[in-house]
Amino acid sequence: MGIFWLRIATALYGVGLLHAMAVLLRRKAGFLKYALVAFQAGIVLHLVAIVELTMEVGHLPVDNFFECATVCSFLIAVLFLFVYWRYDFASLSVCIFPLVFVMTQVGAMQTPMLSWPSPGVRSAWLLLHVMMILSGYAALLLTAVASVFYLIQERQLKMKKGVKLFSRLPPLGTLDNLITKSMGFGFVLITLGVIAGSTWASIESGTAWIKDPRIALAFITWGFYLAMVFLRATAGWRGRKAALMAVAVLCCSALTWAAHVGLSQMLAK
Amino acid sequence: MKFSITGVNHKSAPVEVRERLAFDEDSLPEALLELKRRPGFCEGMILSTCNRVEIALTCEDGAASGVAVDEFLADTRHVARDWVTPYLYRFEDNEAILHLFRVAASLDSMVVGEPQILGQLKTAYTLAKQHGALSGFLDTLLTRAFSVAKRVRSETDIGANAVSVSYAAVELAREIFGSLTEKKVMIVGAGKMSELAARHLRRSGATHIFVTNRTHERGVEMAQLFDGEIVDYTRFIAFLPEVDIVIASSGAPHYIIMRDDMKKVIEARKNRPMFLIDIAVPRNIEPSVNTLDNVFLYDIDDLQKVVATNLEGRQHSAEEAEAIIHEEMERMMARLKAREVVPTIVSLQEQLEHLRTSELARMRSKFGTLTPEQEQALDALTKSIINKVAHGPISELRRQASLPDGHYFITTIRKVFRLGD
Repeated sequence: MGIFWLRIATALYGVGLLHAMAVLLRRKAGFLKYALVAFQAGIVLHLVAIVELTMEVGHLPVDNFFECATVCSFLIAVLFLFVYWRYDFASLSVCIFPLVFVMTQVGAMQTPMLSWPSPGVRSAWLLLHVMMILSGYAALLLTAVASVFYLIQERQLKMKKGVKLFSRLPPLGTLDNLITKSMGFGFVLITLGVIAGSTWASIESGTAWIKDPRIALAFITWGFYLAMVFLRATAGWRGRKAALMAVAVLCCSALTWAAHVGLSQMLAK
Repeated sequence: MKFSITGVNHKSAPVEVRERLAFDEDSLPEALLELKRRPGFCEGMILSTCNRVEIALTCEDGAASGVAVDEFLADTRHVARDWVTPYLYRFEDNEAILHLFRVAASLDSMVVGEPQILGQLKTAYTLAKQHGALSGFLDTLLTRAFSVAKRVRSETDIGANAVSVSYAAVELAREIFGSLTEKKVMIVGAGKMSELAARHLRRSGATHIFVTNRTHERGVEMAQLFDGEIVDYTRFIAFLPEVDIVIASSGAPHYIIMRDDMKKVIEARKNRPMFLIDIAVPRNIEPSVNTLDNVFLYDIDDLQKVVATNLEGRQHSAEEAEAIIHEEMERMMARLKAREVVPTIVSLQEQLEHLRTSELARMRSKFGTLTPEQEQALDALTKSIINKVAHGPISELRRQASLPDGHYFITTIRKVFRLGD
């Protein structure tokens, strides 16, 4: 029964995820009010789930990765609520909502779900995951290239060499716009890809997949991306820092991609 | 027909001379009418700007245009001819065409590439046309000069980069923000330079202008000028996070915007870029502000350096422009030559027709009476002979007209057929 409540909580956290995506894509306020209501309801059910699981095993369920993720995401969610209430730090939601959603979702996979209805759905699902991740990488590449251009253009403006020299590069404002948009799209695509991928792995191979270091690498890469998006959205990281960060995340993504070649066959065994 | 341009410009005459020769708007129509009345003058146009006064003329062959233009200028501007002559330059025919093209393309301007001259030339053209002073050659030539100027502008970077401090500031702002629409500007210290820069920025789309000034009244005046808002001088730093562009030109003897201030400002702006223009001397903004990320500080020397770099670039473009102009000159000369060939063709045809009719009249009696059909046939026969004879020379004349050495051929044809002069 605990897992059931956990899945409902995940669905409620999903509203928060949608809010974060809306903020990143449209650069508007999103729908924080509704997302917060859903988030609080999610926390209540999350607590219910943890209590039930505790009663089942007789102690706090932190025996494996899934249980740890469940408890950890609950603590993060509660902490966020406190910070939001105490410091009115709403923009933190852009980072916390996706994080709590993905962690709870992974936690809810401790009891494997149904099996594939047909081989067609299985391969289509995998294809969807791969396409979303690859499109996300493409957007990330664009972000990194634009960030480097931004850096060059910024240096040239600082050096005061005259307009003629940098007339080939677009203005900073244009590059900044491009970076914001491509980063937002990339993040949304990769997040959806991660959700699709972890679901696929869970249905495919039960609970064993989470122990693979390559899966860990994928989650870490996503975490970096999340951090980058957050720093840009709240602290407005631009120029040198932003360029370095984008290139680092791109390298990380390349590693993950290289590590994942052939992973699906292994998971299927 | 002779074409000439006579006048003064910023190189040939000091401003004291130019200002006495300049025609104001009201006196130009009268001057044009006077120009038309002068004997020997066919067409004329007067270009009068602050840097040049020029009279473009076509006159009948043999008219002593040089002295006549000097006289015209001296008479209409009420100065002595001897006084003005040393300052005048005169170009004739090819050289005059070249000069006209260079003026239109802004290669002869004080600031090479400045765009105003073309507009001024067009105004002068329109005025001359309205007063019936243009008909034919000069009209065609001026129209050609406009399209040459257009070509120079589109094919070279001659007018591309700013060569004034305030325009350089606008260009840099564009380099930073892309579009300037909706950008907010703060003027710290109401002065002539900051007003000019703000005017350019506003024209480029910046919407909100804030003004702060030590003396409140002057600030209010300037704020009204731009529909802007006045900000209290003692508290303007607090407003800075809201604005994207700051123009500082206050008379303060020390820095009024410090690095620490700007550090806080840029944090409050979440690192959105900011452009600071310090045109005050002594400077208003601490120079180390430029070391902050996302803050771009340009002082008056930086802007002047940008201007100097752009000017060098213009010099390079000017060389390209000269090449274009020479190309256009050649085309123009070819056209002119093609026009010269027409009288030759006409007189050749007339000559042959004259031969035909006189020979026919001479021999007609020997034929006796002919039927109307025979008369017609005889006429057609002779016409066809002269047409066939003329065909070769005429088509060759047309072809040669556009070649550089075509005039030799034209002279030969004239000699061979005894076409006279």
